[in-house]
Amino acid sequence: MTMAAIEVTNVKKAFGTFTALEDVSFTINKGEIFGFLGPSGSGKTTMIKILTAQLEQTAGEARVLGLPSIDMKKSENKARFGILTDNSGLYKRLTVEENLLLFSNIYDLPKSAIDEALEFVNLTDARKKKVSELSKGMIQRVTLARAIMHKPDLLFLDEPTSALDPVNTRHIYNGLRKLNDKGTTIFLTTHDMTEAETLCNRVAFLHKGKVRAIGEPAQLKHQYSDHSMTVELMTGEEHILQLDDHTAAVKLSEWMSEKSILRIQTNEPTLGDIFMQVTGSDLQ
Amino acid sequence: MNISMKRIQAIFMKDYKEFSRNYAISIMVFMPFILALFYNKMGINTIDAYFMTINLTLAMVTAFIQSCLIAEEKESNTLRSLMMSPASIADILIGKSSLVFSISAIVLALTVYLLGYKPANVLVLALALAVSIVFYIAVGTICGLFTKTVMEASVATLPVLVIFSFGPMVLGLSEKYPIAGIAEWLPSAQLILLAEGLETAMPAKEVFISFAVMIGWTIAAVVIASILYKKRMTDD
Repeated sequence: MTMAAIEVTNVKKAFGTFTALEDVSFTINKGEIFGFLGPSGSGKTTMIKILTAQLEQTAGEARVLGLPSIDMKKSENKARFGILTDNSGLYKRLTVEENLLLFSNIYDLPKSAIDEALEFVNLTDARKKKVSELSKGMIQRVTLARAIMHKPDLLFLDEPTSALDPVNTRHIYNGLRKLNDKGTTIFLTTHDMTEAETLCNRVAFLHKGKVRAIGEPAQLKHQYSDHSMTVELMTGEEHILQLDDHTAAVKLSEWMSEKSILRIQTNEPTLGDIFMQVTGSDLQ
Repeated sequence: MNISMKRIQAIFMKDYKEFSRNYAISIMVFMPFILALFYNKMGINTIDAYFMTINLTLAMVTAFIQSCLIAEEKESNTLRSLMMSPASIADILIGKSSLVFSISAIVLALTVYLLGYKPANVLVLALALAVSIVFYIAVGTICGLFTKTVMEASVATLPVLVIFSFGPMVLGLSEKYPIAGIAEWLPSAQLILLAEGLETAMPAKEVFISFAVMIGWTIAAVVIASILYKKRMTDD
């Protein structure tokens, strides 16, 4: 039986008259990379704050690593998770190494943990640089290094690659996969569908505080597909064929024997298309 | 209570590095020396004058620096990062206060020396000053936690300066305005009364009362600072 790293049941969070989360339920198994997808203001960060005891839900139950989420406030439980959000600050007058040294001492880690974390985010050469001298992308990587330095059981990442270039994004993806292979469960919020498809085992679509769809990317794509394919002929004509229509096979066979097919493409929706289909609005 | 010396030391070292590179705040430690030298050169050698400088030091150095350090952590979101780490409330508050306590103790010792003040009982006075430092650190923490930026924090410490440093001066008006007598119960006023008493061999009971008042203020300030800190751990 797979153990749950996070169990959220009918969680509601209201700020006065504004409801940020409404009846949200999902389960994340240990060892999963779970993507929480939604546009800005959909409630993604609120969910992370509830799960890390920075906020208390108005109703419902949230359990993290088998404990009520509010217990994540306790010192002994804080070492079990890592977090990267847009309000994870760094000490600007200190160097990259000094920033990490503070937290390696707080987590009681060996000095080698700093080297490993810097290697993880591809910043070994910048260890002596002051944070005030770093670019936005580098700052985000240092913050990520701090979040993963103690090899947590559970990692919360809020838009982890939003300020990174493609090369470093790929480097971080590889690092996160390695971390996940070693058993770290990752809860990732993003509005980048490519990121979600590349990294996540399962995703949930959050819109206006409600989970609108949940599942594996491939399964969702299949579920929301119109099961059609587009065939482009040498003549420039385009034909859309329904895969469940038996005449499609006949047409295809004809075109193939005539050698008139230029291109065949299955019309699989992207996660962005599915989000739009489910919520009626764009992810951005 | 969960306290780790390693974590406290890590936070202290981090604060020391940050403070030594933050000239806008660290320059404040020199202000009391200028004032002390001025009083010394002017030949002003009354207890009231000495403690005017000492109480100003406690507000300008202790409360001001502590509030700015806390507010800066809030402003740059680093306080939340510390709060999300395994460091306990005690680790963070003690770690963050240790640097300001050390700086305040050194600055006060040098200020007393520059003033030319030779207290009759150094040990009792040092103890009273230590209690006062803790009180002003707690007040500075409250100011820092209440405000969002360093700028706001430096403004928020102004009332502390006015009430606690200049408050004892109001005592002179208490014959004409009895309400002014309330100022006697300020910790800064009690510090002056204690110092005056030490010069005139004050009865032990009086010394005890002064200490009790100062400790009472200190406990109240520490409790408020801790409650406020706990509230700042969450966004509710």
